[in-house]
Amino acid sequence: MALIRFIAHSIAELGNALCFLGDIVRNILRGRIRYGEVLRQMYEQGVQSLMIIVLTSFATGAVLAIQGAVTLTRFGAKEYIAQMVAWSLVREMSPVFTAIIFSAKAGARITAELGTMNVNDQMLATRALGVDPIEYLIVPRVIACFLVLPILTVVSEIVGITGGYLVGVFEANIPSAFYINQTLRAIRYVDFFSGFAKVFFFSVLVSWICCYQGFVTRGGSLGVGKFTTKAVAYSIIIVILSNTILTKIMIMFWG
Amino acid sequence: MIRIEHLSKSFSGQVVLDDINFEVQKGEILVILGGSGTGKSVLLKSMMGLVRPDSGKIWIDGKEITQFSEKELLKVHKGIGYLFQEGALYDFMNVFENIAFPLQEHTDLDKPDIEAKVKKVLEVVDLAGIEGKYPSELSGGMKKRVGLARSIILGSKILFCDEPTSGLDPIRSRDISNLIRDISKGLKCTTVITSHDIRNAFRIADRSVLIRNGKIIAMGTQAQMEASSDIFVQSFIQ
Repeated sequence: MALIRFIAHSIAELGNALCFLGDIVRNILRGRIRYGEVLRQMYEQGVQSLMIIVLTSFATGAVLAIQGAVTLTRFGAKEYIAQMVAWSLVREMSPVFTAIIFSAKAGARITAELGTMNVNDQMLATRALGVDPIEYLIVPRVIACFLVLPILTVVSEIVGITGGYLVGVFEANIPSAFYINQTLRAIRYVDFFSGFAKVFFFSVLVSWICCYQGFVTRGGSLGVGKFTTKAVAYSIIIVILSNTILTKIMIMFWG
Repeated sequence: MIRIEHLSKSFSGQVVLDDINFEVQKGEILVILGGSGTGKSVLLKSMMGLVRPDSGKIWIDGKEITQFSEKELLKVHKGIGYLFQEGALYDFMNVFENIAFPLQEHTDLDKPDIEAKVKKVLEVVDLAGIEGKYPSELSGGMKKRVGLARSIILGSKILFCDEPTSGLDPIRSRDISNLIRDISKGLKCTTVITSHDIRNAFRIADRSVLIRNGKIIAMGTQAQMEASSDIFVQSFIQ
């Protein structure tokens, strides 16, 4: 009985979340976009996540190069470190890591902000003032996320490759020009595109989940904490699971 | 001006409003009285279209709003000022931005005109000079006054106030009650207020409605309420 209730509740919740997404898309298609708010949100979401993404990406690139140096040297293939770092970052690690870190920083902020507005009646006040809260509060956050996440991913790729380069050149003693040449040769358009396509998909999922959880938050300050945690957990799980499917699809089509 | 017919609302099987019927005349101040958790706020939110009733009809200015779409309701809201219990000010905006928000959204006024209007309405609520302050820097009473300023800035002919005196000391409660009465009478607003503050309610109300367990148990002027033979009415007003 409890299982049936849980399933019914989950289906109803998914239905509500899809209606919410439908409202967002309808507003965007009708051109109800507040560009000033979008820019403000882009600044807040981007700046807030930039530093942590730079640090983790640099460390990730460096670790990939260190592990690559150890492993590939055993097979006498040390010169392939550059390719391994570049492929790993551009195709998989930067898009996924950036989306996960973005969920934990900017996504949590979105849910907490909207949730606090909800429990303090500010969301209701927006409606009472004759303004659609989806148009005023949600659409700018979703569009900002859609634009910021790809930019952050490119930053992550560049910084990660730089981290790998520093280890490759100064630790593994690969000549600098050779490392750069190998990196540029390694990244084909399709590699960059497949990673980038994923990021757009992740940005929609993360912004949808975080905005929805904020929009339905109830239960005072305790509720804000609960729904924010839920938003971050759902976002991370969905990013990781959808990445598996997207990777399979992209390899099927583009190799 | 406002008519409620057979309005009912339940939450998770618990009846909050049960067959509510009353009318509010143009320019009248009606106070909805009742203890905590009796459904006063739900009634006011239903009248505003912020909560959908389970059954019944609500006429605002000749329009039956219960079947309105969200978009149609937003248009209705532009003509009604709503003061929330805690003010519900945007905490990311300062006082000026909060009060100017409805003007920026619904009028074509330019910046100097908006500034002049905000300044004037702040003088009306006796808070001149606090334009740059943020809600976190204001006391509970000041938040309610700023909320009141925001709710009347568009010159709405209907004003709804949800518990405007709750959480305030007796002097502040009296001041804000008098302020609402002065504004309502000055702007010739039809005003509905929810309250459990019987003294201030009688001071400003033309008529009152007393709710218990989701039902109206008494309605009328102060004299009519005081003349009621109902034991609960007598114990509530005394």
